[in-house]
Amino acid sequence: MIRSAFGRVKAWVTVHPIASFVLFFAIFPFIAPYQALATQVLIFGLFALGFNLLYGYTGLLSFGHAAYYGLGAYGAGLALAKLKVTSLWIALGIGLGAAVVGGALVGFFCLRRRGIYFAMLTLAFAQMLYFIAFHAADLTGGDDGLRGIPLLPLSIFGASVSLRQPLAFYYFAYVLVVLAVAVLKRILDSPFGAVLRAIRENSDRAVACGYDINRVKLLSFVFSALFAGLAGALDALRLTVVPVDSLYWSTSGQVVIMTLLGGAGTFFGPFVGAATYLVLADRLSIFFEAWPLVIGVIFMAFVLFLPRGIWGTLTSRGIGQ
Amino acid sequence: MHRRQFLTTTTAGVTLLAFPAVLRAQTKEPIRIGFPLPLTGTFAAIAADLQKGAQLAMEEINAKGGVMGRKLEVLFRDDELKPAVGAQRTKELIENQKVDFVVGGLAAHVQMAINEQTKAAKKLYISVSQSDEISAKPDTSPLTFHEALNPTITSRTMATYGMQNIGKKWWVVYADYAWGKQNNVVFNAAIAKLGGTVLGSTPYPLGKPEFSAHLPKIQAAKPDAIYAVTPGADNVPFLKQAISFGLKKEARIAQPLHFLYYTKEGGAEVFQDIYGATHFCHELAETLPQAKRYVEAFTKRFTQPPDSYSGYGYNGIHEVARGVELAKSTDSDAVANALRKNREYDHYKGKQWWRACDNKSFQDLWIIKVRSPQQVKGEWGFFDVIGKVAANEELDRTCAEKGHA
Repeated sequence: MIRSAFGRVKAWVTVHPIASFVLFFAIFPFIAPYQALATQVLIFGLFALGFNLLYGYTGLLSFGHAAYYGLGAYGAGLALAKLKVTSLWIALGIGLGAAVVGGALVGFFCLRRRGIYFAMLTLAFAQMLYFIAFHAADLTGGDDGLRGIPLLPLSIFGASVSLRQPLAFYYFAYVLVVLAVAVLKRILDSPFGAVLRAIRENSDRAVACGYDINRVKLLSFVFSALFAGLAGALDALRLTVVPVDSLYWSTSGQVVIMTLLGGAGTFFGPFVGAATYLVLADRLSIFFEAWPLVIGVIFMAFVLFLPRGIWGTLTSRGIGQ
Repeated sequence: MHRRQFLTTTTAGVTLLAFPAVLRAQTKEPIRIGFPLPLTGTFAAIAADLQKGAQLAMEEINAKGGVMGRKLEVLFRDDELKPAVGAQRTKELIENQKVDFVVGGLAAHVQMAINEQTKAAKKLYISVSQSDEISAKPDTSPLTFHEALNPTITSRTMATYGMQNIGKKWWVVYADYAWGKQNNVVFNAAIAKLGGTVLGSTPYPLGKPEFSAHLPKIQAAKPDAIYAVTPGADNVPFLKQAISFGLKKEARIAQPLHFLYYTKEGGAEVFQDIYGATHFCHELAETLPQAKRYVEAFTKRFTQPPDSYSGYGYNGIHEVARGVELAKSTDSDAVANALRKNREYDHYKGKQWWRACDNKSFQDLWIIKVRSPQQVKGEWGFFDVIGKVAANEELDRTCAEKGHA
């Protein structure tokens, strides 16, 4: 009985991945412990989604994805706090622009190397950005973080909607994340998406098939940075502060853990990983300080025994792909 | 009714009649205070002390029947010394736990992130961390109160004392984050104003206390004294390295703050003759009746004397309670106004007051020096109190300098 119910869920989710996402996250704030946590899951899920495009689908391991998340956050934050732009959309656009430009530049240099050298270069660029932000305190707020970010009302079709209520902000982020997920699905279903997977499986064969893999990898890098940047920009609006840690290697490490925990190379894995990590961290930290130990053990168990991650394991054993 | 039942019922009834305030406090919804603090990380020991002070205040207030017949409930959360975590934990406290007020934050950069959340939620926040910005525009707000000292007050005090008693030529070693940088800037300016010289400054990353590459350069400059802004767990490694390089014999060492628990951890051999400032040390119990009561209560509850930051936690909770009593309300605006109108308070060490323009607390501070191993009194008696600096608004920047009209 349960197995057949799982089977039906699997079939439905497989056929309607976007609709499944839309439905689940529409009710998510009412099943999450509180709404700000639901929003955090949504935003970090998006961040992990961007990372997954590069790592899970293209096979490129970046250790510096905090750079694009941070550029998105600082871009949107600086636009609102320093440039005093009066539109949330313009601020988001500036955040996305900063992440895309940063992704293109860093990708251009890093993609000249492969494997561990590529990973270390991405880490080095991210740490460079971190130290620039740390020391440019007049502009970025340095170690104190960028403060004074106003949460402007949302202007849409001539109407002005306040985002001050946690639920209102959740659904604002939800709409943007749904759009991003739909765009990612379109990318993955396109011939371009097939080439990404071909590069991951065997890049030499992809070259032999006539694909300009450097160009494809760079595009994948830029798309990945775009999603990470959107996540960063949304988080800047959510917290109304941009901590300099947004650019730090620990943020890059966090998104790697979330993606692997949820299931790299699976469509919903990053969101499952983000939800698992953040909800566990939030709940466990109330009761004891050594909560990273629990997440560390769970993470190691998955890497060692269930390397497909939570969602990857479920899809291979019963519930939707 | 049996004799045993009669006795039980009668005793319970008499107890309830005798303590109506306690009964009321137990039946009404508690007043909740959120308290984010770094229970893990470089400042964990100071945070544990801060937490104990807050806990003691809560227990004392509840034992007297609470506030307006309601118990206080303080909810502690580990902010991991990370601004984003501090912001998220504060959101959880406000949104999920429905706290009425927030007290806490123990690092300049984390309290800024906490402050942004409390400002947005219009909740009164009493910061207990050193920072110059928290009580200045544009960061402060009418609901932001600052209980702790700040780098300006601490470093101006140490510069004045240092020039008169320690030396004229200085070198500054500072943790490269907000609090460290602010101390460096203030100390440099104060020493220059007093006619001394700062020969150089050495920043290092907070939490990474490796100084061997810098110490020979400092020794070559031959300063009279070192101003060591090496907070938390960095304090002991810095002094041990200064000793092993011979720097401690060549120059005297002063630091903005002394902490009892780190001094005990490093031992009097390491800390002997190091100067520092503090807003509280348990040795004050020998001269101040308020301090004596506080130290005895703390020691009885936690079987060890308090370090300095427990006083901030203690005051933070007591001030929220006092504000609620005065305002007869848990509305943050009403409590903030009540505290500004009744700005003087004295909970554990003498008179303090809130300055009206910036909600900054002004309080006495003391210059202390670590005793030699032979002079240490008992298990915890490390400090000699060698000077007192009375609370004085002129030690801080003026209201106008902080952006207040």
